[in-house]
Amino acid sequence: MNTVLAIAGVVIKELYRRKDFYVLFVLTAVITLLMGSVSFFNDAEIVRYVKEIALLLIWISALVIAIGTTARQIPAEREHRTIFPLLAKPVTRAQVILGKFAGCWLACGLTLIVFYLFFGVVSGSREHHWPLLNYCQSLWLQWVMLGVVVAFVLLGSVVFAAPSSNATISFIVVLGILLLGRYLNQVALQQPEPLRSIVYGIYFLIPHLEWYDVRDLIIYDQHLVGWLDCALATLYASVYMALLLFAAWLVFRRKALNQ
Amino acid sequence: MPSKTMEPIVETRNLRVEFRAQNAGQPKKVAVKDLSLRVCAGEVFGFLGPNGAGKTTTMNVLLGFVNATGGAAFLFGVNVREPIARQRIGYLPELTYYYKFLTAEELLRFYARIFRIPRAEADRRIDELLKLVELESARKRPIKTYSKGMQQRVGLAQALINDPDLLILDEPTSGLDPLGRMKVREIIQRLKNAGKTVLFSSHELGEVETICDRVAIINQGELKVEGRVADLVAQHQANLEKIFLDIIGYQPQLSA
Amino acid sequence: MKRLAPFLVLLVLLAAGFNLATLLQGRTDGWSRRGQSDNVLSVLLGDGRRLFANHFFVQADVSFHSGYYPSIFDQARAVKDTRHLTAKEGDAAHEEHEKQMNFLGPPRDWIERFGRHFIITEHTHLEGNKEREILPWLRIAAELDPQKVETYTVAAYWLRDLGKVKEAERFLRQGMLRNPNSCEILFELGRLYYEADHNAARARKIWDLALRKWAEEETANKEPDPLKLDQIAVNLSRLEEREGNLSRAIQLLELAKKAAPHPETLQQQIDDLKQKLATPPPT
Repeated sequence: MNTVLAIAGVVIKELYRRKDFYVLFVLTAVITLLMGSVSFFNDAEIVRYVKEIALLLIWISALVIAIGTTARQIPAEREHRTIFPLLAKPVTRAQVILGKFAGCWLACGLTLIVFYLFFGVVSGSREHHWPLLNYCQSLWLQWVMLGVVVAFVLLGSVVFAAPSSNATISFIVVLGILLLGRYLNQVALQQPEPLRSIVYGIYFLIPHLEWYDVRDLIIYDQHLVGWLDCALATLYASVYMALLLFAAWLVFRRKALNQ
Repeated sequence: MPSKTMEPIVETRNLRVEFRAQNAGQPKKVAVKDLSLRVCAGEVFGFLGPNGAGKTTTMNVLLGFVNATGGAAFLFGVNVREPIARQRIGYLPELTYYYKFLTAEELLRFYARIFRIPRAEADRRIDELLKLVELESARKRPIKTYSKGMQQRVGLAQALINDPDLLILDEPTSGLDPLGRMKVREIIQRLKNAGKTVLFSSHELGEVETICDRVAIINQGELKVEGRVADLVAQHQANLEKIFLDIIGYQPQLSA
Repeated sequence: MKRLAPFLVLLVLLAAGFNLATLLQGRTDGWSRRGQSDNVLSVLLGDGRRLFANHFFVQADVSFHSGYYPSIFDQARAVKDTRHLTAKEGDAAHEEHEKQMNFLGPPRDWIERFGRHFIITEHTHLEGNKEREILPWLRIAAELDPQKVETYTVAAYWLRDLGKVKEAERFLRQGMLRNPNSCEILFELGRLYYEADHNAARARKIWDLALRKWAEEETANKEPDPLKLDQIAVNLSRLEEREGNLSRAIQLLELAKKAAPHPETLQQQIDDLKQKLATPPPT
């Protein structure tokens, strides 16, 4: 655990020393504040569009950070040869995978905290109320979803040599699931066999990341998700994280690291 | 002279490493063929060979980067496939690249944490090592601002952070100026005096002749000769360079 | 001279570029209209901005329903109709809309069942002045596609409902500038003057103009929506009735009958007005 956390610490240091996070945060903040400053029909009480735009930007930024940061971890270690002094220590390849995962996931969590704090300030300044439990729940669910994304991208990073291909494929898959995952069963019903079975198979196999997108509940001031449902969703995501990380380890442990 | 025990610190038994060919249909490339080596405690052991001889591949197996196709390799009697085998070693790669966004101090602290060195002890060692490699003034600067020589010295410091009993150095003086090379030789000598074991590969035969107790020369993956430097020189009636060239079959071209 | 050479080359290239630009300016005018537009969005997006405008109009509808909205797969099965955005409870449009919004149905599998815990599953409409939340989307939609008339009429309807009469008028006039022949915008403007400002004379003028525009479209074989004729004529008829111009009111109802979905209702109203006209006022 100590080794895993040590590696995670290095990943987090890398994130806040690179410019990506700051660029995305500033972009999000600027766009949100700009949109928030626009007056629509002289009505200062309109707030939902600001929340919608802010949350959309937060989701996009978090995905960019998660996928971008994770996609380059293992390939960068190999390309820059920093993996050799690391593995020359009493560090297993499983610990490297876990450490990179923990670092990227924790980095996403820290990013989300900063973004949500900003969101809370902006929306609270207009609405004059802070549904903190709703925000916390939304943050938690989004963070858990990003854990699955990070694990998926990490698997990709040991399969694909180039971070760019891994990042592109990961973006397409993740966006596809977020936008269409919920409807694949409907699509399947409209197809002839054997396509119907294939689509249904995909529907049951993919991690349903769209469950974790509860932006509408925040924007439209809806109820909290039940805590049992939240716990079950967390468990579901944990299973997928474990599966993907295990697969990543299986691939990585066989890779020859020639100098 | 430290006393040598019979228990080897580094041992390979009929080590064989094969790689798949780049193109389909071509035979496998045998990088190391039935290599059996022993390095005893307290020795400075030179590992020599021309480019492509299999030195780096052998080191990669010892360090666990590559799995052996046949045979076995042991560090301190523990199979190299076990991560614990690397608990007491320090490794300096030929090409020294470290996390560029970390400072020297942060890098050493990271590696100290991996070895579970307590904080106070880690602080003491970091101060000592940075002083040894003369990087005290640059300890808070990110490694990306370092020159090649400074990066090499950081590499040496991280190899020594856990006070290793075995040091594996791959071309430790490569790219260093004469002063830098002298400092590295001094450090190796100091380690030897402290009873540590050093295994290093180098192309600087003069250097090897000066500081090594024993050497092994490999060519095309096979061990060609192994023994004490003095014995080899006496046996072949030539210096180490001549012995090396004879073994690899080099024929000098006579100028017209 | 050697030192100056790179600068001289640069100067020559700049001069050549400038000359080429002046030469080509006249020719490129015919290549595309996009670059000549004064609207940044037109230049950036071209006709694709209409797609975005439609998206934002739909976003306003989503906002109106507090996030409960059919997916593109559900929408493919349903009839496209946005009259509910300005329909009152009890209206036929509202009833039809209620039926269409029962798109969820029972969950097909455990994934769908569990997934519904994380989405909005209740059909509601914004109320209690919260309708203001749809306005930004309508504003953006109007910017992207100024020719989408519905954007102006829906926004004006809700602005009027929220008591923002001046803003509604300004927005409708903006819409009129970009759509001078739109009877829908004229109708909405007339309604604003009549119901909010209580200015019958002004409303009459505007509605008369709306009728003329509708007739012009019909003459030009553009097939305008007959329901619009019904709406304008009926509302103008009510105005005339209240102003005491019963003959004119009857004329307008006769006109509306041609386009009304239930002409018998209008016939009844015509008969009532004829009777009123025939009965002398009490002395």
